[in-house]
Amino acid sequence: MKSSLRKTAVSLTALVLAAATAGCGSGKATGGSGGTGADGVKQGPGVTDKTIKLGLATDLTGVYAPLGKSITNAQQLHFEEINKAGGICGRTIEAVVRDHGYDPQKAVSIYSELSGSVLALPHFLGSPMVSAVKQRIESDKIFTIPSAWTTALLGNQYIQVTGTTYDVDMINGIQWMLDKKMIKSGDKIGHVYFEGDYGESALRGAKYAAQHNNLTIVEQKIKATDNDMSSQVAALNQAGVKAILISAGPRQAASLAGIARSRGMKQPILGSNSAFSPQLLDTAAAPALAQGFFIATAGAPMSSDLPAMKKLADDYSKKYPGQPLDSGVVNGYGGAKIVTEALKKACEAKDLTREGLIKAHRSRNAFDDGLGTPMDFSYWDKPATRKTYITQPKKGAPGGVVTVQEATESELAKNYQVPVGTF
Amino acid sequence: MSERTSPLPSLPRLVAWAVGLAVMVAVPFYAEAFFLQAGVFAMAAAIGAIGLNLLTGSTGQLSLGHAFFLAVGAYGYVYLAGESGNGLAGLGLPTWLAVVGAVLLAGLAGGLFSPIAGRLRGTYLGIASLALVFIGQHILHNAHAVTGGANGRDVPPLEIAGFSFADTPELVVLQVPFRALEKLWFLALALLLLAAWIARGVLNGRPGRAMNTIRDHEIAAGVMGVPVARYRAAVFVVSSMYAGLAGVLLAMAFRRTVPDYFGLLLSLEYLAMIVIGGLGTVAGAVIGAVFVSLLPPLFTRYADGLPLIAPPGSGGVSPAEASRILYGAIVVAVVLFLPGGLMGLWQRLRASTAARRKSTPSPRMEPEEQPA
Repeated sequence: MKSSLRKTAVSLTALVLAAATAGCGSGKATGGSGGTGADGVKQGPGVTDKTIKLGLATDLTGVYAPLGKSITNAQQLHFEEINKAGGICGRTIEAVVRDHGYDPQKAVSIYSELSGSVLALPHFLGSPMVSAVKQRIESDKIFTIPSAWTTALLGNQYIQVTGTTYDVDMINGIQWMLDKKMIKSGDKIGHVYFEGDYGESALRGAKYAAQHNNLTIVEQKIKATDNDMSSQVAALNQAGVKAILISAGPRQAASLAGIARSRGMKQPILGSNSAFSPQLLDTAAAPALAQGFFIATAGAPMSSDLPAMKKLADDYSKKYPGQPLDSGVVNGYGGAKIVTEALKKACEAKDLTREGLIKAHRSRNAFDDGLGTPMDFSYWDKPATRKTYITQPKKGAPGGVVTVQEATESELAKNYQVPVGTF
Repeated sequence: MSERTSPLPSLPRLVAWAVGLAVMVAVPFYAEAFFLQAGVFAMAAAIGAIGLNLLTGSTGQLSLGHAFFLAVGAYGYVYLAGESGNGLAGLGLPTWLAVVGAVLLAGLAGGLFSPIAGRLRGTYLGIASLALVFIGQHILHNAHAVTGGANGRDVPPLEIAGFSFADTPELVVLQVPFRALEKLWFLALALLLLAAWIARGVLNGRPGRAMNTIRDHEIAAGVMGVPVARYRAAVFVVSSMYAGLAGVLLAMAFRRTVPDYFGLLLSLEYLAMIVIGGLGTVAGAVIGAVFVSLLPPLFTRYADGLPLIAPPGSGGVSPAEASRILYGAIVVAVVLFLPGGLMGLWQRLRASTAARRKSTPSPRMEPEEQPA
């Protein structure tokens, strides 16, 4: 009894002492960095008189490591160019790169670190990771460009989903197949998709297009860990599908195409933008991918004639010789540019706070980085564009793909109601 | 045990306690979000590890199903506290009630498994409990209305009597803005102290001795009148409830539950915690949990300053890889060289310094006195 009394007394004293000393001398009490710089520019977290810190939460060791690496490299290339040209607002850009390895817990820890030390997140890979901190992005007011194209991330003014969402790509893709007479009303089409928002978002688009064209979707849901598509191909073959859609990873797409072609199935295969990577062309699946495999994507392929694209391809190959020129390079560079352009605009208004940055960003309704379709950032409850490129793998082409159809918005996609914040 | 042998805690011990507590209370006033996040994760893990240590360390029952019970706690809380709508089901209970409910739910899940837990021994239980992880994964991915499927579900913030453990409304204490993480830090600290205190009580009392006897010699335990099967089942339930509480805290710290997190790897991580920390003691579980959960984030954070580690994206050994390699190396080193874990190392150090300080002659006979 006596001992517990003594214990309590000591504990209470400790608590009071700790609380009393805590208030003074804490860096947090003043709010850390911020205030107004020497040049009269209001500064948010991560901004000083000399630097602007931006955070890149990427995956360099997990399942999306190749994509994460391309995006990170491309963004660093862009920041280097900006810094060489004198920086923004007289400040140099400093990228803080953190690797979450596609692990949600690590991503949450990394977000906690970055949210206190950087102004914006030009690259945050993975929809499960971004979804995990979505509420906090809102309360931290931190401008984020997710490297994920699902509708679940729409509806938050601080999150800018670039380009189209997966569902819009699928609608445009199915319309294109109809136009090219690959499929016709009354046909069955198969859809192999990942569980989770990527695949299910794409499926929603496919179902919408099917409903309006009297098509039937034969669903094949798979897990990210399923690598062998034999049973899916067999099931689709048996169902007698006239075309196959795939919204999964490159590995699954390669397996699907390889097995389907070896079984003598000649149906066209249309993949979402994350279903292909140029590294596949160095594998045994390359011949299968050269026949009737297409990709629906918002990003222009590296091989297109756009001058900005040519320059990017050159610069990137110079800085990172031997690294693949995949869609991540375009996405990453474009994402970085969206943020730096917003920074420039925020600088004009002398407001480099998080509020100032998002205001500057949302004031743009026709952003064109010369790397694809112009985007409208003034709303956040709809995709920034509804135009989709149809591309095709081709060995030897820069980035491994060539354009089949330029960016097009189908009538079907125009009238499509995009689900906001869900899928 | 020391509690019983010396009813009055010594002064240095009390001072150490007070200093430790003061530091823990002061941390949220100084540390940035990164450390608070890591700290809350570590404290939640410590609660879970204490539970596993009761089962594995003290009773000798191997469990690979800890991740399942963590998931029951996390998703139980989300389901009980969450609102229905948007294709999701939820009961919308007051959040404090949901916490209690989630812990009881985890206990219930443990209870349902206890007929198996009561009968199987050691490794056999490990294999049986392994099945739980896979069943759990299947349910989490497919019971969409409750779990939100593969993408998980938002976690409603805890609210007790109008005080919300969320970012808003912002609370200012001594000029320091208190947001969700600062508040959660205190919640986690309080729950950890409570959990540790209860576990100590169990271990130092009659049940603790019975559990240790079961671990050391089951037949002897039975002969001495310990109802072995009943004890084994009961410990399993208690351990599940600890896991449930840890799961609730983890969910609050994440603010979103994702099924992939609750996989086999998590179960193994908890086993690593108690092995590294030291089997059988509360302090060991806490030390191990802190060690295992803080190492990877700290490594990722401070890798820039370490030699031989390349910055992420430049090729070479990246910080994440390096932390995994080091983590593996430490587990191997502890198993090889420190059979008692970090806690055992501490006790050995203390014993050796105490022996050196105490120069009183041992009751051994001097050589010349020894009979020939």
